[in-house]
Amino acid sequence: MKQLLFVSFLLVSIAVSAQPPIGSLSPEIILKDVSGNAVSLSSLKGKVVLIDFWASWCGPCRKANKHLVSIYPSLKAKGFEIYSISIDDDKNDWKKAIAADKINWLQVNENGGWNAPVASQWNINQIPTSYLLDKEGKIIARDLAGRQLDSKINQLLKK
Amino acid sequence: MAVFVIVDMQAQFTKATIQASGLTCAMCSRAIDNSLKQLSFVATVQPDIKNSAFNIMFKQNDTADIDALKKAVEDAGFSVAKFTITGVFSNTAVKNDEHVAIAGKEYHFLNIQDQVLNGEKNLVIIDKNFLTASAFKKYSAATGMQCIKTGKAGSCCEKAGLAAGTRIFHVTI
Repeated sequence: MKQLLFVSFLLVSIAVSAQPPIGSLSPEIILKDVSGNAVSLSSLKGKVVLIDFWASWCGPCRKANKHLVSIYPSLKAKGFEIYSISIDDDKNDWKKAIAADKINWLQVNENGGWNAPVASQWNINQIPTSYLLDKEGKIIARDLAGRQLDSKINQLLKK
Repeated sequence: MAVFVIVDMQAQFTKATIQASGLTCAMCSRAIDNSLKQLSFVATVQPDIKNSAFNIMFKQNDTADIDALKKAVEDAGFSVAKFTITGVFSNTAVKNDEHVAIAGKEYHFLNIQDQVLNGEKNLVIIDKNFLTASAFKKYSAATGMQCIKTGKAGSCCEKAGLAAGTRIFHVTI
């Protein structure tokens, strides 16, 4: 019995420091976009949302942007949205990358790099890291890319 | 009896640029950033996508520990591919394949023209594990002195007033 108690304690302490688990409701995020307007994640309720942590200096993130640019227009029409969170310290670098990659979805920036509040709350240890949320804001999957991402989005849009 | 006087050239190092290599995108991991920021003399760490490098600014009036920077990268599970350190010099005379004391540390310049350093200059560290193995091989052939292998003064340096075992940083420009 004692042993069982110890094990359950251990699990609790791990859960506290971990990323928001799959199947849970996403915590609210409110960050500012390029124009300085606050954009809340909850304002996207009813849509299938991809939360994407990235930075202009992250090569793999820039590569992933290309794929998102190609799928975004047709999926947006069906009720999909991307909430990209850049952890760039330099806002100009962030804006340049948005222009260079031709990004036209929601972009917010959190100053402070890895240790910024939202990146810390989500325990982001590497980028790109992304979360796919269903229409109710529940976290369905993490770090999907390419075709796997496309098919999961389409599946969630049909629900 | 000969008296040796070691002249300590005045200079202060202000920043370093480290290229890290590993199996994955080094900058995309929080690990190196965290590891570098834990060093007391580090003020800021900024990733540089063009050079796949970290630009590290040092705190003013703090002494940068070159070996600690390299260790921080290694402790995070990566290795250093290139290490450039930027200093502001005033009339620091350097000669090819000779040692010179700068800001209290010994530097051994290789593959350079004899010159006097003034203003902001970049030095590339060419000690083992501060660059790729192939680049190290190239530079280590540029001197007959043993210290390039260990980064430390050999007993041969004692006549020049350097205790055996003194850390010597091998650099080029």
